[in-house]
Amino acid sequence: MVRLITHNLLACHVRGCNSNNFPLQFQDVQIGLREAEFNPDFLRGFLPKIEWNALVGAARQLGDTSLPEEQPSMLDDDFLKTLHHVLLEIHVEEGAMVCPNCKHVYPISNGIPNMLLAEHEIG
Amino acid sequence: MPTDVRAVSVSGNPEEYEDEHVHAIYDEIAGHFSSTRYKPWPIIAQFLSSLPAGWVGLDSGTGNGKYLPLPLDRPGQLWTIGLDRSINLLRIAQTVGQHYREVVLGNVLDFPWRYGAFDYAISIATIHHLSTHERRKAAVKSLLHSISPNHGRALIYVWAVEQDNLSKRVIPVAQQAGEIQTVKQKDKPGVDVFVPWVLKEPSSKPDTPAQATQASAKVFNRFYHMFAAGELEQLVTEAAEDMKLQVVSKQLRTTVAAGVSGVTAVQTGWERSNYYIELERWRT
Repeated sequence: MVRLITHNLLACHVRGCNSNNFPLQFQDVQIGLREAEFNPDFLRGFLPKIEWNALVGAARQLGDTSLPEEQPSMLDDDFLKTLHHVLLEIHVEEGAMVCPNCKHVYPISNGIPNMLLAEHEIG
Repeated sequence: MPTDVRAVSVSGNPEEYEDEHVHAIYDEIAGHFSSTRYKPWPIIAQFLSSLPAGWVGLDSGTGNGKYLPLPLDRPGQLWTIGLDRSINLLRIAQTVGQHYREVVLGNVLDFPWRYGAFDYAISIATIHHLSTHERRKAAVKSLLHSISPNHGRALIYVWAVEQDNLSKRVIPVAQQAGEIQTVKQKDKPGVDVFVPWVLKEPSSKPDTPAQATQASAKVFNRFYHMFAAGELEQLVTEAAEDMKLQVVSKQLRTTVAAGVSGVTAVQTGWERSNYYIELERWRT
């Protein structure tokens, strides 16, 4: 699956594409929503490592505007539930992710992103 | 039918070699292979149990994803993302343990991630499928790049020349006197072999006689590099040095000056015909 937890970690790795290669931009996506178990301990631990702007931007590309622009300092249950939904319950099933720098297209098929490159593209 | 392990010599383009002798095979045997690989090994389960809530990890060469649901006693406290070169194994990994998992199609030699984005990484029974020393080293470097330079932890397992007595495999290369000597010398490389996988095709007709079922079994020879004693440690040291990381023993960690980036082998060992090494990255 490509959920936003994974999207927040992926970057373009085409040879020579070393800057502005994150976050990848979603293109022509089909999404599915699936409930996942809420785990506040995981979210509190993961939160400091999230690239926040990338997450907010990606969620908006998928039509979800529930996250605040700035990461809140108070981690109440409402916020953690919103974060949980955005990170773990929105599944990108089909479509692609495009590098903002070199425009390389990484296809997503049946929920699996294809990050393979041809030999001459590998950095 | 020849089903013993036998020595081979790698030739030609290593990428094409691995495509033919590793990737294509796993795509074909995925279902059968996965049905035989469901039990997590104890040291790996222990490693994952020891990690704090909120950590995200990479399983580089996840196969059927059997480590993705761990730790079983604290479900959902970690997220392990599985990467593999076999799309058919990933389709199995995608829903392992009756939950949706995060999986990515990719090569363990590549680096499709933000640097240091993961808290931990595991690579289990994967690096031994790479056909040259340089490529195995590149895979270790990718793994070290994937984890946090401040606190990242990693666990690597590879197949050992030294085989379990209980192992059903016959290893002719390791039994030749000359080979055993080679294995005991630290600087000598391990052994390149083909390890057969006998695929039993499900019979198309339920009433097919036993002989016919036998005849439909197909043998696939998977490439493995069987590691010699000390070779995995050596590989990690070379990878770390290429990355300008200091390799410091556990005992000497406290004596390192400020402003140094390094890696420490927390534990090394042999378990069930495999060598393993657990690593920690740090910055003083």
